[in-house]
Amino acid sequence: MSGADLYYGEFHALRNIDIYIPAERVTAFIGPSGCGKTTLLKCFNRMNDLVPDCKITGEFLIGGEDIYKSKDTASLRKNVGMVFQKPNPFPMSVYDNVAYGPRTFGIRKRAQLDEIVESSLKQAAMWDELKDRLGKSALGLSGGQQQRLCIARALATSPGIILMDEPTSALDPISTAKIEELIVKLKELTTVVIVTHNMQQAARISDNTGFFLLGELVEYASTRQIFSEPQKQETKRYISGRFG
Amino acid sequence: MEKSKIKEGCGKVFFAAAAALCIAAAAAIFVFILMKSVPALRQTGLGDFLFGTTWAPDPNDVYGQTLSGSYGVLPMLTGTLVATVCALAVGGTLGFFTAVFLAYYCRGRIRAVFTAVINLLAGVPSVIFGFFGIKVIMPLFNEISPNGNSSGLLLTSLILGMMIFPTVASLSKTALCSVPAAYYEGALALGSTRDQAVFRTVVPAARSGITAAMILGVGRALGETMAVVMVAGNSPQFIGGLFSSFRTLTANIVLEMGYAGEVQMGALFATGGVLLVFVALTVILLSLVTSDKKTKGRGGKKRGFTFLFDRRICAAGKVFGIFCALFALLFLSALVIYLAIKGLPHMSAQLLFGAYEYGGGISILPSVAATLMTVGISLVIALPLGICAAIFLSEYAKSKNPLVRIIRAAVDILSGVPSIVYGLFGAVTFVTLLGGSYSIAAGSLTIAVMLLPTVIRATEESLRAVPLSLREGALALGAGRLRTIFTVVLPSALPGIIAAAILSVGRVMSESAPFMFTMGSSLQPMPEGAMSGGTTLAVALYYLSGENLYTDEAYACACVLMLIVLALNVAAEVAGRALQKKFQGEKNARKRYKGERRGSLLRRISRSQEH
Repeated sequence: MSGADLYYGEFHALRNIDIYIPAERVTAFIGPSGCGKTTLLKCFNRMNDLVPDCKITGEFLIGGEDIYKSKDTASLRKNVGMVFQKPNPFPMSVYDNVAYGPRTFGIRKRAQLDEIVESSLKQAAMWDELKDRLGKSALGLSGGQQQRLCIARALATSPGIILMDEPTSALDPISTAKIEELIVKLKELTTVVIVTHNMQQAARISDNTGFFLLGELVEYASTRQIFSEPQKQETKRYISGRFG
Repeated sequence: MEKSKIKEGCGKVFFAAAAALCIAAAAAIFVFILMKSVPALRQTGLGDFLFGTTWAPDPNDVYGQTLSGSYGVLPMLTGTLVATVCALAVGGTLGFFTAVFLAYYCRGRIRAVFTAVINLLAGVPSVIFGFFGIKVIMPLFNEISPNGNSSGLLLTSLILGMMIFPTVASLSKTALCSVPAAYYEGALALGSTRDQAVFRTVVPAARSGITAAMILGVGRALGETMAVVMVAGNSPQFIGGLFSSFRTLTANIVLEMGYAGEVQMGALFATGGVLLVFVALTVILLSLVTSDKKTKGRGGKKRGFTFLFDRRICAAGKVFGIFCALFALLFLSALVIYLAIKGLPHMSAQLLFGAYEYGGGISILPSVAATLMTVGISLVIALPLGICAAIFLSEYAKSKNPLVRIIRAAVDILSGVPSIVYGLFGAVTFVTLLGGSYSIAAGSLTIAVMLLPTVIRATEESLRAVPLSLREGALALGAGRLRTIFTVVLPSALPGIIAAAILSVGRVMSESAPFMFTMGSSLQPMPEGAMSGGTTLAVALYYLSGENLYTDEAYACACVLMLIVLALNVAAEVAGRALQKKFQGEKNARKRYKGERRGSLLRRISRSQEH
């Protein structure tokens, strides 16, 4: 993706971002609040389309195709899953939650759905926990389980990319550990882009890290390099906790 | 993929069309009332109509010939205005102080009890208010009235005041509760007493919401018809004192429509036109008050009221609040207990289930049947339309779009139009369309239009209560808008929509004015179908109480009506709780909605405006 600018009305939220995100790796975006990480993340599945007055310029290429050229947001979002900051399971059963995506794309056969639900829950490492309560309401799960269910739900459409917007910020340390473990495993299947406020988390799980400040991509390199020998002064100060 | 595009497009157009129907309905009401009143106004002259002091219509007057009657509505105009002001003085004061009491001086059980009292009072049909006024309060007042007859301004103000009380109380309470707790705590931290903190800090901060509540109260008082007809005395003269008989604009229409001549009919429509002008004024006033951006403080001009800081005066305010709340409780219990004592013993099998005979046994079975038919037909029409319009407003509409603003204005107007004007509208449109005679179908169509704003607002509110994150979740999975709405948003909002439906049933039950000239107003045998006339329970009660022959039956009828209203209230409450429970986990979303103070306040306002 190159030369991206994004405006919310008058506010210039992203300034000329150039970034290449490698496939089947975990890429983390870090930076202080309001620096544009989430905004950039939402560009990849066009969730910013929902925001009135939002104007986007530049090229966003996924596998060589500009996602803003096509009008088909549905199949884009099928391929680019998203997990939100707060777990947002639908008020329906566990099964129906996971089957929501496949059903959206026309899969109606019970056997096929069963298979997808089972494999998605297995990928999210929660099949054993949940296989006996597939018919129970998803709202009855704990926060961590809900979030992993949301990951399973995103996996059910077998996306090539999964976007995660601070997926653990609303969770306790144990659930966080489980989700981090899951993310590391997920990169065998898909590309993961994760926004996080927690620098240790970025250091633990990501392969590449981008540091954002005031709508600009200050530094983007392998995670090892960002955390051990950052090139820019701002990055150094941020990761050593002197501002932000 | 193309197919789904088309589906999405069609869905949006369909929802937008349902919403646009509101504009059509509001416009049609104005157009038809105007059309019918212009010939009469041309004949009498606008000035003579508005400022003429005598109302003495001659049913034989026809257009184009010299008039032998006189058609001046000034006495009724002043009657309406004075009665409204007096009712506001009663209901506004009671409502405001009760709201303060509810918001800051009670909690837990007591608060629940008084909230239920307010909700129940809001649901009591206006004919029951009128009936209670005639049977209970009037004999009391007769003792102190110089001429031995107390129908008139005092009685009307009291009854009307009690009718607008729930509107003012519940909306003011919402406004008071949405004042940030920090204001209250800040005042306490500066050494104010609790009473001073409430009256000098919180109340001024909630000013715009309280004003809005008062304006809606005024709107309700202006348009009230049946209760006023029963207690005002109705002679078309200027108000001469607390106990002198007078007539309001709404009463004028109800009393004379049944046998009006040509010019007289036109003049009655023009009376409805005057009411519409008032409605438009209150809607404009309301939008000015609620869109007022200057809530952040009003400079430092006003200093003359420092004596109000006195803690004793603020303490007196608290005591008065308790008194007002108790008064409301007393009024409601008196009403319920009295109706139960007088009515329950007369609920005979003949009355409830017997056959109706002309001049013989009275039975309310035909009325029950007619009521059920009306409820059924009107809901089948109003619910789908209203829900679709609400979906458009909450899921598709962008607030800046001029069309959307017009739709919202139309909904505001529809909810403000007095029920008797709906009656007039139904009489010229649906009755004429359906062959010129009163029928249940015509009445149902009329009330369906009237239900639209109720359904739209209640549905929209429950749609907005569905957290945004659920919609985002569905969209991020590639679902289209339609699929998101039908599989995620609507099921989540279902309890709220059910509550809207129950509210609508309650409304159909308790309205009477719109049916008088669309369904007929005299007791009739069992309706044979939707095209035959009929009377709903509320209209039957009006009819029975008007004839002194059937007092016992009237009590029993009032009792039945009251029981149904009680049951509906409980049902709506249960449905509302279910909605709340569903999103208990979503505290974040809740907070966000609380944060948008103005928005949620407006929504609440709209919700209670329906009553």
